[in-house]
Amino acid sequence: MDYVVDIFLIAVSAALINNFVLYYFVGICPFIGVSRRVDMALGMGGAVTFVISIASFLSWTITTLVLTPGAPVTKWVGGFFTPAEMAAAVDLTILTYIVYIFVIASSVQFVEMYVRRFYPPLYKSFGVFLPLITTNCAILFACLFIMSKVVGVDDPAQVWDLGRSLTLGFFGGVGFTIAIVIMAGIREELDLCDIPKAFKGAAITLIIGGILAMAFMGFTGVDSGLRAAMGGVP
Amino acid sequence: MTWVTIGLSAGILLSMALVLSYVLGWAAQKFHVDVDPRVVKVINVLPGANCGACGYVGCGEYAEAVVLEHETVTKCVVGGQSCAMAVSRIMGVKIDEMLPYRPLVHCGAHYEDRLGRYAYRGDKRCSAANLVTGVQGCTYGCLGFGDCEGACQFDAIHVVDGLATVDYQSCVGCGACAKVCPRNIITITPFKSHRILAVACSNKDKGKDVMAVCKVGCIGCGACARISNLFSLEDNLSTIDYDAYTPECSLDVMEACNKCPRERLVFVGIPSREDRKKARDLEAPDVVEPDFKTTVDDTEWRG
Repeated sequence: MDYVVDIFLIAVSAALINNFVLYYFVGICPFIGVSRRVDMALGMGGAVTFVISIASFLSWTITTLVLTPGAPVTKWVGGFFTPAEMAAAVDLTILTYIVYIFVIASSVQFVEMYVRRFYPPLYKSFGVFLPLITTNCAILFACLFIMSKVVGVDDPAQVWDLGRSLTLGFFGGVGFTIAIVIMAGIREELDLCDIPKAFKGAAITLIIGGILAMAFMGFTGVDSGLRAAMGGVP
Repeated sequence: MTWVTIGLSAGILLSMALVLSYVLGWAAQKFHVDVDPRVVKVINVLPGANCGACGYVGCGEYAEAVVLEHETVTKCVVGGQSCAMAVSRIMGVKIDEMLPYRPLVHCGAHYEDRLGRYAYRGDKRCSAANLVTGVQGCTYGCLGFGDCEGACQFDAIHVVDGLATVDYQSCVGCGACAKVCPRNIITITPFKSHRILAVACSNKDKGKDVMAVCKVGCIGCGACARISNLFSLEDNLSTIDYDAYTPECSLDVMEACNKCPRERLVFVGIPSREDRKKARDLEAPDVVEPDFKTTVDDTEWRG
């Protein structure tokens, strides 16, 4: 039961309370760049959700199996060269950044080829933004967030498993989609508004992003309240 | 210990590279999309200005339309004949001779020629000024706020003393100025030579009314039409039949130009060598002062 509550809270937290875009301010460039029209924003959100899920799956797997101190693969391979207790102490967490970027870039490439083959109109409307997901910090952020919950956690019960990581990735993507679609909806209305010249374009977009972030601040604290209401440990 | 860490790091990265490149290579084959090689070729010969004069969003889309939807190959006005020839060679079609299209401004009045001009305090754009009366007497002529100047991506049209003037050296004929002009005084015309004859007026009113609003406008006297049949009078305005027009102007055409009491039949285009020779001796002012009557200041607050 505790596990279900945990998963639910991670999902709500990633999607709304600690929204990647509006709370942590990562993934701002597609948030500004592709939020001109709602349908394109939905497509972008879908692509990011897809890539972020794949990336969080891969990053959890690689972190748990290879990178964390005492990981099974490292232990096994290292065991051939050095005594077992030393092999268990080998710490490869310095490799996290390069490995995650590696993984993200490849999965973006994969998604790009897939979309180009099966959804040409979507591919066309993405244009340059699909390759730009490669450097989307929201995805790298999700990977690093998962790493922080796997590496260096003393209590083995608190170490995140694959289910929690996938939930964070997927619902982080959903949160990104929510934010970018809200933004696109507002910007579509803005096209019809009489905006002072000084605020036209990027300026009013950034102002709206800030106001949206303040609105999302209203969710702060909802998670501990939810946890208490569902009978979990606060 | 250190060596074990280094070795493991290298080994892990290497094996990841192997696995991922295998997966991506497999995906590249599995999801391969055949792009018509002609599309790439057509994109390469197009100018890449992405101006949209062909009616497509950019050169890439036009190239796709040419190859896949059999769009006309001569639509690129920026590339002109050489570009159309190259595209037609790739597509295996024949094209006729293509003339460069350039804008003609059918107005010749500068500030001092315009009568009935009043102070205008509204949005300093032609599209806004065109909505109200009283900005100037002539309801046909150039307003001089420079909407065309803003629309031009090639810095080829400027408002000079209240009159839009095309710089034919920089102009590529994309037609953005003609589209944006609220009074439709710019026409995109096939230039049969570097300089062609044009009627520099659009006023369709009767002679007396034109005299009341402009010092230089065409009064529709019909003198040109009587001398040469290249000209005809339509709605009190002299009109040139460009199908019959030839670069070597015959004597009667020249006579008609000289006869015009308002001197509205003028040659426009890239100046010929003789014109340059004539202009060489003219004294130009050292410093050109900005004219705040005509300059559109985009930093200005407009509310």
